[in-house]
Amino acid sequence: MAYFLVRSILILAFLILIPPLLGEFWAYQLGLYFIYGLAALGVGLTWGQAGILPLGQGMFVAIAAYLTAHGLLAFGSSPIAYLALPAASVLVAVLAFAFAALVFRGRFEQGPSFSLITLALTLAAFQVANGWSSVTGGFNGLRNIPGLPGLDGFLDLYYLIAILLGLSIAAVDYLLHAPIGVLWRAAADNERRLAFLGYDVAVIKAAAFATASGLAGLAGALYAPQQNLVTPDLAGFAFSGDLVIFAAVGGRATVLGPVIGAIVVGVLSAELRDRFPWWEIGIALFFIVVVLRLPGGLMTLFAPLRRFSFARTATRARSAAPGKPRIATSLSVAFEDVRVRVGDVTILDGLSVRTGEEAVLCVIGPNGAGKTSTLNVMTGMLPRRGGRIVIDGADVLRPQPAIVANRGVARKFQTPSVFPKLTIDENLSVALWAGRWRGLDVLRLGLFAWTSPLLEEMRRRFQFLNAGTRPASALSHGERQILELTMALITEPRMLLLDEPCAGLSHEETAAVIDAIQWARGELNLRIIIIEHDMELVRRLADRVVVLHQGRFLADGSVEEVQRNPEVRAVYIGGSR
Amino acid sequence: MEALLFTQGLNVIYEALILAILVLGLAVVMGLLNVLNIAHGEFIMIGAYAAYVVQRAGLPYLLAIPAAALVCGAIGLVVERCLIRPLHYEPFETLLATWGLGLLLRKCVELAFGRGYRSVEIPIRGSLSLFGESYPAYRLALMAVAALVLASLFIWYRRAPTGARIRAMVGNPVLAEAVGIRTRELARNTFITGTAFAGVAGVMVAPLTPVEPFMGLTFIVNSFFALVVGGMGTVAGLFAGATIIGGLQSVLSAAVSPTSAYIAMLLISILFLWQRPRGLFPRP
Amino acid sequence: MTGGYFEIQNVSGGYGSGRVVREVSISIGRGEVVCLLGRNGVGKSTLAKLACGFLRPMSGAVRLAGVEITGKRPSENLTRGLTYCPQERVVFDDLTVAENLSLMRTNRRLDEFEPYFRVFPRLSERRGQHAGTLSGGEKKLLSFVRGLSERSDINVIDEPTEGVQFENVLHMADLILSHKKAGASFLVVEQNLAFVDRVADRIVIMDHGEIVLSAAASEVDRQDILAHLTV
Repeated sequence: MAYFLVRSILILAFLILIPPLLGEFWAYQLGLYFIYGLAALGVGLTWGQAGILPLGQGMFVAIAAYLTAHGLLAFGSSPIAYLALPAASVLVAVLAFAFAALVFRGRFEQGPSFSLITLALTLAAFQVANGWSSVTGGFNGLRNIPGLPGLDGFLDLYYLIAILLGLSIAAVDYLLHAPIGVLWRAAADNERRLAFLGYDVAVIKAAAFATASGLAGLAGALYAPQQNLVTPDLAGFAFSGDLVIFAAVGGRATVLGPVIGAIVVGVLSAELRDRFPWWEIGIALFFIVVVLRLPGGLMTLFAPLRRFSFARTATRARSAAPGKPRIATSLSVAFEDVRVRVGDVTILDGLSVRTGEEAVLCVIGPNGAGKTSTLNVMTGMLPRRGGRIVIDGADVLRPQPAIVANRGVARKFQTPSVFPKLTIDENLSVALWAGRWRGLDVLRLGLFAWTSPLLEEMRRRFQFLNAGTRPASALSHGERQILELTMALITEPRMLLLDEPCAGLSHEETAAVIDAIQWARGELNLRIIIIEHDMELVRRLADRVVVLHQGRFLADGSVEEVQRNPEVRAVYIGGSR
Repeated sequence: MEALLFTQGLNVIYEALILAILVLGLAVVMGLLNVLNIAHGEFIMIGAYAAYVVQRAGLPYLLAIPAAALVCGAIGLVVERCLIRPLHYEPFETLLATWGLGLLLRKCVELAFGRGYRSVEIPIRGSLSLFGESYPAYRLALMAVAALVLASLFIWYRRAPTGARIRAMVGNPVLAEAVGIRTRELARNTFITGTAFAGVAGVMVAPLTPVEPFMGLTFIVNSFFALVVGGMGTVAGLFAGATIIGGLQSVLSAAVSPTSAYIAMLLISILFLWQRPRGLFPRP
Repeated sequence: MTGGYFEIQNVSGGYGSGRVVREVSISIGRGEVVCLLGRNGVGKSTLAKLACGFLRPMSGAVRLAGVEITGKRPSENLTRGLTYCPQERVVFDDLTVAENLSLMRTNRRLDEFEPYFRVFPRLSERRGQHAGTLSGGEKKLLSFVRGLSERSDINVIDEPTEGVQFENVLHMADLILSHKKAGASFLVVEQNLAFVDRVADRIVIMDHGEIVLSAAASEVDRQDILAHLTV
């Protein structure tokens, strides 16, 4: 926290000292680039953190600029005019949130579609701004916009812009280090995993986009009085593209990068463009190089300074996380004649099976039997073509991963699905926070101190989890499996779905995992459904075994009963075809 | 009245065919290879400038076609090697890289030729009289050429051995390598063909529009969204997209205004991107 | 063990960070058929992909006729005489049966496939059909014919009989034996014991990514195999 305050104050001080050193002319010039920096700051947030590439931020800058222009033209010298600033930013942010939440709803990892939608929107906005002369002044725009009342000359407005920029940088810096920042990075890293922990990924992503757009709105609101002119060019895709370039060139993953990118490229362009026709070619080339080789942009040059960045110390006193309501019974699930088809291929062909009294149910079967598909259709990753799925007595009509997760179902995937770019601690935190956080908790740094008895136990059993600042990508395959299992367990689920939990593990790791599963089963009222091939595991863990074959139920019983069953043996050796 | 409808009908067909030719290069690069080449418009622009240069040199206009194909193909070769392959043909990354490429190409052309508009003279002057209405001869010639090119290309794609190998590679790249298709080289050649097509399309439209460094921007928008709506990677998708977007533009431009047509096209594209991002006839 | 025609030496690897295959060595001589058995998930298909260049091994080497081909592109390996038939997505769905077969040939006539068509008349009947409309077993037949027609010295085939009718399974076994007589070698991943009985010279069984049994087919007891395979 100390680092954060010091850094923010230093930045603010630096910004405020410029005019005395460089003169009024520069105050005016820099004012514009600070405004660009504000908008670029937002692009860096939504792109660098949440992985959402916005190709149309200019539209939000333009909307806010036009609104503020009208406000200033109407209220001229009254202090009410200042209200335009927060009003424009908030309005734009709300619009952006609604739009993004709608588009992201129910869609995983849709690739560049969202980016292309923002591009199309800004192109449309440009046309509207050009044509709607009565409101926007058409092609020539709105002119002779008065400045903000009470501010004389370029210097005053500069200070306002500089302070707002400094505060915005501090705010974004804070957000990135708060739980919401971790959630944004988690969404960019592995949306599916985040959804399966019960988070509303659409809202989380929309929040990032809305914050970015709010910053763009603030930029637009300042643009009007600074330039005294608002034209449709703000909504054009050249400007939106420039913002992306500023963020990329500066370094999109950092807070300061986009701002520095905007200022450096902006200032140098203004200076060199006329003298140096090759300047813009140079910028384009540098941008391409950044995309190819230098994702960190200019900020990689400042990498040594990262030591002074806002680092969370590992020795933080732990505090107890709020408990989750404990329900006495575990979840039951029943499949009734469930059918699933993908294209021409029938995956589940009238599967009927239900859980009974057993705590651990192992599902086995040859290749293509539909084992993983059973878990997928139960949690909403595959659409159902027929039959019913009943979880805990309630018919599940159109399951969604997050909804199923919030009913107490935790899932561990066949290939370990964690957040590779996040640290171990962050991975565990995201899992721990699920279902426990309320309202503005996402802004509270205290959440990083949360822990639970279950988590402590897992930390005791698996020492590597204590090296919390290591990124999850540095873990071995086996460690990743165990991390994912831990994350699933600390959500204190009522049903745990494990898909080959010991795949790729050494014998020692397998033994440790089996032990942990046995222990957890005792601690929580847990029903565990395991898909496995390793009969050793099945023998040690299973209370009951279900055999699937070609998308249908084949047999069930205890391990011995299933092993003696001639139909089951036939299916494994391939002689019954 | 019939004459008016006839001319309108011809216009719609014309718009659809021209758009199909303009989109062709992008359909190859984006539809088959999943490369989001947002500099596609710049390749068209370079083709148009090639036509200008050829005409200024006094050479027959037809020579502009191989000239443009060569220039754009050569640039495509460099781009594939330096941008697309290092980024592993990944959509997001190639979108960004080609955005930079587009800037670069625009600036280079601006440096070489200046910002002003150049005009390319229509190589086939006059108009033909059809059903009592006169229709520009060049447009008719373009329609004929476009139809011919598209038809032969599609026959080639479905019949020729290389066409089959491209289809194989696109549908199942792992198996393609297994049966001996050198996918790296085939992908590269396919990409270069895409950029060359864009250049040739530029030659075709050069006489009809002011040739200036920023002309590519209008083409890329229409092309991109034609593929979004029609669907990527299929012949049906290309035709559907070109017909819907091109036809829509044509009809609405005449009936209401070009701006409304443009906005309508954008709104439809947004709808598709939101609900049906793979388009009407996507690759299975 | 050096001197084999197709040498897989201490190969380890998998997908991403996972080490699915651990230090596996298999040596195949000319005209030898080795069958690779094991339950699901033990790493058989992964080993096949590592050997043929679809995955880069983390360690170890693969040699063909003494030449190291570790990590080389599959299309290149084909020119050296290595054919691969995958376990899934075995044909080009968008192409017809005829196109699937003649894809890499210079002429479109299917003369050279006549012997195969006599054995599998179904394929001939369907030659104009899109391969995507074939049944699973028919796709496997098509893939098998394509692979054998390449006449490679080494053939790595992953689960050729999955979904195939019994009579055709016998035909496939006969075809392998006749190619074998001509000097071709085979590494066949299989679960169908009747098929394995007919073609295997040697049997290798994998479990947990490692080899747990490797012996001449004549020396292996059915019971041993069953013990490793079934539940």
